[in-house]
Amino acid sequence: MPLIINDIYPEKLFREDGKRLDGREKNELRPIKMEVGVISNADGSAYLEWGNNKIYAAVYGPREVHPHHLAKPDRGILRVFYRMATFSVFERKRPAPGRREKEISMIITDCLEPVLFLELYPGTAFEVFIEVMDADGGTRCASTTVAALALADAGVPMRSLVSSVAVGKIDGQLVTDLSGIEDKAGDADLPCAITWFNEELSLLQFDGDMSIEELNESLLNARNALDQIHQLQLTALKSKYTSILEEVEGGED
Amino acid sequence: MMNIKRVISTIEKNYIAENLKKGERIDGRGLWDYRKIDISHDIIKSAEGSAEVKLGETDIITGIKYEVGEPFPDLPDEGVCTIMAELLPLASPLFERGPPDEQSIELARVVDRGIRHADCIQTKKLCIKENEAVYIIFVDMFVMNYAGNLIDAGGISALTALISSRIPEGVMKDGNLEWTGNYLNGKDLVKELPLIMTFGKIGDIIFLDPNLPEELVCEGRISISVTKDKIVSIQKSGVATFSIEEIQGLIKRSMELGREIRNKLDLWQYKVDK
Amino acid sequence: MENDELESEELDEFESDETNREIVVPGEVLTEDVEHFNPGRGTLLNKDKTKIIALNIGLKQIKKNYINVIPLRGFYTPRPGDKVIALVIDKNPVKYKCDINAKDTAILKPKNTVRRGKIRGSRNMEAEEFEVGDILVAKIISADRLNMPELTLVGKYLGKKANGIVISIDPPKIPRVIGRSGSMIKLLKNLTKSNIFVTQNGRIWIRGENIAYERLLIDAIKKIENEAHTVGLTDRMSQYIESEKQKRGIK
Repeated sequence: MPLIINDIYPEKLFREDGKRLDGREKNELRPIKMEVGVISNADGSAYLEWGNNKIYAAVYGPREVHPHHLAKPDRGILRVFYRMATFSVFERKRPAPGRREKEISMIITDCLEPVLFLELYPGTAFEVFIEVMDADGGTRCASTTVAALALADAGVPMRSLVSSVAVGKIDGQLVTDLSGIEDKAGDADLPCAITWFNEELSLLQFDGDMSIEELNESLLNARNALDQIHQLQLTALKSKYTSILEEVEGGED
Repeated sequence: MMNIKRVISTIEKNYIAENLKKGERIDGRGLWDYRKIDISHDIIKSAEGSAEVKLGETDIITGIKYEVGEPFPDLPDEGVCTIMAELLPLASPLFERGPPDEQSIELARVVDRGIRHADCIQTKKLCIKENEAVYIIFVDMFVMNYAGNLIDAGGISALTALISSRIPEGVMKDGNLEWTGNYLNGKDLVKELPLIMTFGKIGDIIFLDPNLPEELVCEGRISISVTKDKIVSIQKSGVATFSIEEIQGLIKRSMELGREIRNKLDLWQYKVDK
Repeated sequence: MENDELESEELDEFESDETNREIVVPGEVLTEDVEHFNPGRGTLLNKDKTKIIALNIGLKQIKKNYINVIPLRGFYTPRPGDKVIALVIDKNPVKYKCDINAKDTAILKPKNTVRRGKIRGSRNMEAEEFEVGDILVAKIISADRLNMPELTLVGKYLGKKANGIVISIDPPKIPRVIGRSGSMIKLLKNLTKSNIFVTQNGRIWIRGENIAYERLLIDAIKKIENEAHTVGLTDRMSQYIESEKQKRGIK
């Protein structure tokens, strides 16, 4: 029943000058802003703006598991709940969580679990709530990135951080960090995440078509972008403390 | 981590009540003071209107979406506005996952009633063609951090989101919907601005804008929505009872506070031009 | 009320000279010199045994040949002997359940409460009864990974609090509120004319002469929490409290 202005895809995803529609080079990330400690009630929290994506993550735990039967006697469990706000997308999303949100929640849970020491917290849960308030492509990668920050902010012991990005192919060319429109109108999308303690991929999906050579090159593109994202995460985590250090000690030293 | 606030301690309850009797609050406010109110508008690109309102540490983000649908048969030339609230489990250890509970329904209902009875949303302007097509406006409030008094923060954030909205103008031509390329904005959609003021009651003491500990030890609350010159809705909740004199006093106070806050917030500044 | 028993060596780590002011985050390499350094608290030797990495957000500390990370954030893990501020959240004839700001609820059995009677030593002495909502200062007598921690009220300074309020901070920052040899807590008590009781589970009970002092004390504690990783905190707090007293007109 709803009649809505059609979401028209552009015919070309590159401009005359060879840049992408939003003015980026092929392997350039969108502007990214991260901040930790944004939700005072949570044990740990983080906020991320990645292009037009606006995402909050909050961590609670270790705490009792509800429903109780999910608790494991020999180890803790990690539960991730990825949700999108009704107004975060072009057509209003139904308030109840859909299949897509459940699938992404599962993927992110599996991605983050290897960096945690769940065996130290039997019978309890770490719960990570991710709320996408504004979405513009790559939300699962942005969510993974911000969830890792929130866990670190909570003081949960971790083997390392986790960073995530999507690479892909649009108009036959390999690019890094697909925007919403590039994701929809492009040829291939490859979201991935890295756990830095072993430098291996912990999240990997692929949709579209690519040659073996293209896929190999894309993974290298991803690796470069992941390094940049990791640096931004480190800076965001530390700046909460270093800014206070500068404030109180700056004049004295 | 368990939260101490799930069961509020007896000493904290006594402490809050005893200080309120002396007109003191631990955060330094007087009985009739609001916490600091921070408003940002037009923050969500995907939404047709949006606002984030912080009332102290309480934080609510509201977004506007629209659909085009058929009007209700008894109101053939009026659009529809529905208000929803979600208490995200991210916002507090007191909130649980799952379908809307009483608290979120009350939040949405009280904000909705204030708006509905105040000549706020111009539903006739939301009609595209009588009997055929009207706008359905969704005002969705998401609680991002819960530190007491969601209702007042929700009311301001719903109004600001509506004022900041920008909705494509449609016309019906030969049974098809066409977009004119123009937009309806806050000035077209909204007229009166109903402000909700919530008062807590502990013992005989009544005070404005309960923070979280105060809300948890409150025996009852009363929320009063006012426009410039009228009372448009009242909601009493909790087990406290209020005398007629108390209600009369609160109504008078709400009108005064309403005028003061209306001027201070100046919500029309958040209008986005067409 | 004193906090003497808390002033163990470990609690001074924030102030110790070996603590670098360098802030590290999970996964960060602390050293590749595994010949000379061993992984200590909050660290891990990587799989290939070539690097020592941080597990927590915290301050890097080199103590002799150990590298530690003093956490800046984290949750409270109960240990026997810890004093905690507990909130009674449930009761039945055989036990009280208490929230101690840990992942598990703690248990207090009536046999571990103080018995009181009209005549000392008489048989009909009865255990003191508590209600849901009571605040207790208790000591942990047992805590392990599998069982609920158990509390006792038998001991010096333990028992129910009749007044005051309880505030919470990050448990890892509790040592800073106490300070080296209790210096910070003494300063806070003296300058704000308040009673303070600090416990390891991140909770602080306070009671001041009046609400103005209590407000100032809460603000001061929040400032300590916020600046826990900085040096010269005790001096700065003293200046802060004095200047705030003037600003707020508190004598």
